[in-house]
Amino acid sequence: MTAPLIKLNHIERSYPLGKQQFTYVLRDINLEIEEGDFVSVMGPSGAGKSTLLHLLGMHDFGWTGEFFLDETPVHRLKPKERTTLRNEQVGFVFQNYNLLDDLTVYENLDIPLSYRRYSKSERTALVADTLDRFSIVGKKDLYPRQLSGGQQQLVSIARAVIAKPKLILADEPTGNLHSGQAEEIMQLFKKLNTEGTTIIQVTHSETNAAHGNRVIQLRDGWIIK
Amino acid sequence: MLQEIRHALRLLFKNPLFALVAILTLALGIGATTAVFTLVDALLIKPLPYEKPSELVLLFEHFKQQHLDAIPISPPEFLDYKSQLHSFSKLAAFTPATYNLAQADRPERVFGATVSAELFPLLGVQPIRGRTFRPEECATGRDDVVVISERLWQRKFDRDPKVLGSKITADGRALTVVGIMPASFEFPLPLFNITGAQFGEQADIWQALGFTDTEMKNRGSRSYGAIGRLAPNVAPQQAQAEIETVVRGMRARFPGNYGKTDSFGMTVYPLKEQVIGGMKPLLLILLGAVALVLLIACANLATMLLARATAREREMAIRVAVGASRGRLLRQGLTESVVLSICGAAVGTLLAIWAIALVKTIGTQTIPRLGEVQIDGTVLLVTLAVAVATGLIFGLVPALASGKPDLTEALKEGGRGSTSSRRHNQLRNALVIGEVALALVLLTCAGLLLKSFVRLENVSPGFNPKNVLTAEISLPALSYPDNKSQSNFFAELERRVTNLPGVTQVGLTTILPMSGVNSDASFMIEGRPNDDAHPGPDEEDRIVSPNYFRALEIPLVQGRFFNAADKLDAPSVVIINQALAQRYWPNESPIGKRIQVPFSKSPPWSTIVGIVGDMHHRGLDQPVLPEYYIPVAQIPYSSTILNVRSAQDPLSLTSAIRREVQAIDPALPIAHVRTLEQVIADSVAPRRLAVLLLAAFAGIALILASVGIYGVMSFLVVQRTHEIGVRMALGAQRRDVLRLVISQAAFLIGAGTILGLIAALLSTSVIHSVLYNVSTLDLSTFVLVTLTLALVALVASYIPARRATRADPMLALGRG
Repeated sequence: MTAPLIKLNHIERSYPLGKQQFTYVLRDINLEIEEGDFVSVMGPSGAGKSTLLHLLGMHDFGWTGEFFLDETPVHRLKPKERTTLRNEQVGFVFQNYNLLDDLTVYENLDIPLSYRRYSKSERTALVADTLDRFSIVGKKDLYPRQLSGGQQQLVSIARAVIAKPKLILADEPTGNLHSGQAEEIMQLFKKLNTEGTTIIQVTHSETNAAHGNRVIQLRDGWIIK
Repeated sequence: MLQEIRHALRLLFKNPLFALVAILTLALGIGATTAVFTLVDALLIKPLPYEKPSELVLLFEHFKQQHLDAIPISPPEFLDYKSQLHSFSKLAAFTPATYNLAQADRPERVFGATVSAELFPLLGVQPIRGRTFRPEECATGRDDVVVISERLWQRKFDRDPKVLGSKITADGRALTVVGIMPASFEFPLPLFNITGAQFGEQADIWQALGFTDTEMKNRGSRSYGAIGRLAPNVAPQQAQAEIETVVRGMRARFPGNYGKTDSFGMTVYPLKEQVIGGMKPLLLILLGAVALVLLIACANLATMLLARATAREREMAIRVAVGASRGRLLRQGLTESVVLSICGAAVGTLLAIWAIALVKTIGTQTIPRLGEVQIDGTVLLVTLAVAVATGLIFGLVPALASGKPDLTEALKEGGRGSTSSRRHNQLRNALVIGEVALALVLLTCAGLLLKSFVRLENVSPGFNPKNVLTAEISLPALSYPDNKSQSNFFAELERRVTNLPGVTQVGLTTILPMSGVNSDASFMIEGRPNDDAHPGPDEEDRIVSPNYFRALEIPLVQGRFFNAADKLDAPSVVIINQALAQRYWPNESPIGKRIQVPFSKSPPWSTIVGIVGDMHHRGLDQPVLPEYYIPVAQIPYSSTILNVRSAQDPLSLTSAIRREVQAIDPALPIAHVRTLEQVIADSVAPRRLAVLLLAAFAGIALILASVGIYGVMSFLVVQRTHEIGVRMALGAQRRDVLRLVISQAAFLIGAGTILGLIAALLSTSVIHSVLYNVSTLDLSTFVLVTLTLALVALVASYIPARRATRADPMLALGRG
């Protein structure tokens, strides 16, 4: 039996309120996610969905408990090692796309590879391949502001997958899109998932969640389902 | 890296206003640094234009008991040193000289020097054509050979190669040109000042030096400079030790000349120190000042980049999210700041080129080696290094502060200011406080120097320099071989010029006040001992015509001025100044007393007939020295300076005076035509230049600090828009908002001022040596500059404060 891609044991995340007082946003989270899963995290606002996602994406280090990613004990890693692991394993997609405004589409795709020390020729080949794969070759010299929301999210997903991560974390990826665009993005996720990428998305939409194979419900920091 | 440079450039184009302010700020800081470093490099760092210049030294004698320092040497002494000193591989003698060069149209006075044959090999500079002097040519009667400069060759002979071997007529003598020195060759350098070279004059003729029999018989007649090259591996201290031995021998052999005490001696002075020593403190102060300006510019840039970093937190968070390491973000931040800095340096270099040209215009005639100053490869390299260092310094603060973005918060939809914004605010405040403090230090130093300069300019020189024209005339020995012919010429000239329309007085002197030229000579006082234990006094001497005092409006204190009756065959007379009277006859009237001056005729005693007012002959900042005046009719002199007081613009008399001179002798040129006010202005030129530059730097510092405060307050107002909206919604009036913002600015300004005052109190002692009659703790200067800075800074913060009062509560709350 293979080990799960993600394993969380007794994860807690709190913020100080005052002297000896804390507010908890994640409580005793125990969770296993298998490689190849397409998981939707749902729950009302303030339930801790985004906090969980950023924790999984190793953007946040202020939690307690155990976190294994592909059998690597993240909780024991030094910050630099966590960054390396994140760069190797994780791609992120945001609700507001978070493309770099001053870079062209091409450069936005190139930058994660540049940060991962890919050679110039490798980068050129990978970016060309990704532009082609996502059918955005014609947009490569445009800046994000020159694209529609759907197109920006498409570029954002292309950027997330360009370094071939095992895991894609998406924080309400269709939150700013109309339903038609949202469906296209979900189809794209489905396709990536079929190709082997594990996907965890935070969403409020039952329709979007239906594209996945598993739903995790959060409320007040607790997993309730 | 290329990618980061490209991105940095793109950011500049995206925010042109930010780029403009940042580049201008850097241009001012780096440009000022480049300009001052160019001066420092050319004047202090670059070696003198001779072979192994560190081995070159000047040799000056002294008589300690008579307070005579750094005096020239006599020919017999030079030959003694040359034969007995082994610490020097070569020794050469020289004396500045002027030549009236005969011309078809108009004669020209050319500056030069007579030099011994060893000089050119000693300096290690080869002629571009011909040769230098042979030893046998440095003898009386065979010394009619000259080497000319490439400048003169170009100017007078149109680079005609046939000039070599041909004869030129100077002072009525035919001199054979044997060589041409390159245009870059300069000797004597300004400031040598042995017997009369003026600042900024370049020698164009060098004549072989042959000591005359008369000179060789007079060990006490010292008018030659001596330059030496230390032998290999000999330190100046070793040479000095050998000199002591030789001097002891000379004292034993010639007790009549040197006395039996150790008053007489000779000292080795490194050549470079002599040439640039005077400028060193001023240049170092300026270097310190530009370092402060650059620091202020850095602080300003850091505050601007911090503000931008706050606005770019989301971008940095995205970069981290897609894989950027902390080092990579730091590299990007630093690349952006270095690119900005290099753009600033490029504009700054243009500013520096302009500033250097301006400085040269102001000071070439008065500051040694200033003509050599130019922005070269070394300066450009240093500018580049300064730019990179500056970029790293001002880029490091925001880059480090931005290195740890709070990703969870920053990446959220509509994420609000995070903890780093608060950290940025604290840093920004600290930087502005630092800027104000540094600006105050600079303003205080500039204020003190300015006050010092104003006080100096207000010092009465002891004469009235207004409306006086001066011009130098030198009579060639061949045409004017005796006292009579010289006296007749000057008497006729004085008569003719006096009759020119507009002329009110005409006087002659051998030495012009504050021209940098000085002369002193020993004398004896009748009835007072003159032996080893009581060596005769040695004071400043001048040879003047009767109307000199009237022409310069030097007041008569007692007795009378010289008059027409004080002729060559009349009883010898002298006039002394108050300082000399006070020193030697403190409790009695010196009128009627007798002294024996050099070159006295028989009987040797000259009677003191008058006392005149004191003057600051050596400079406004120099003390009054005892002086005695001898009438030119009784000791005729071949070279003199005409002083013409006029009722009109004195320079308008130039042509008329030249016509009168040539009416008497068409072969005679006049030289150095300038007003007496210009002479005084030139004497304080280095100081004026330093004050001007320091004031400019202080002004830049004030502007930069104001821009810094304006920028920070503007940013804080934008940050507090929501809060201000809430306050206004709760009933705050515009004046309350104004008070809120101004009080925050006042805190920063106050803290900066207190720090600045402490720093200024500690640092103004650095400029003590260049202050004149102003304390380094001058209260009025401290108060004035503090108030000025505080006022300007408050005005700078008032503008964003006014903007805050115009905030629409509804809009502000909506935005928040």
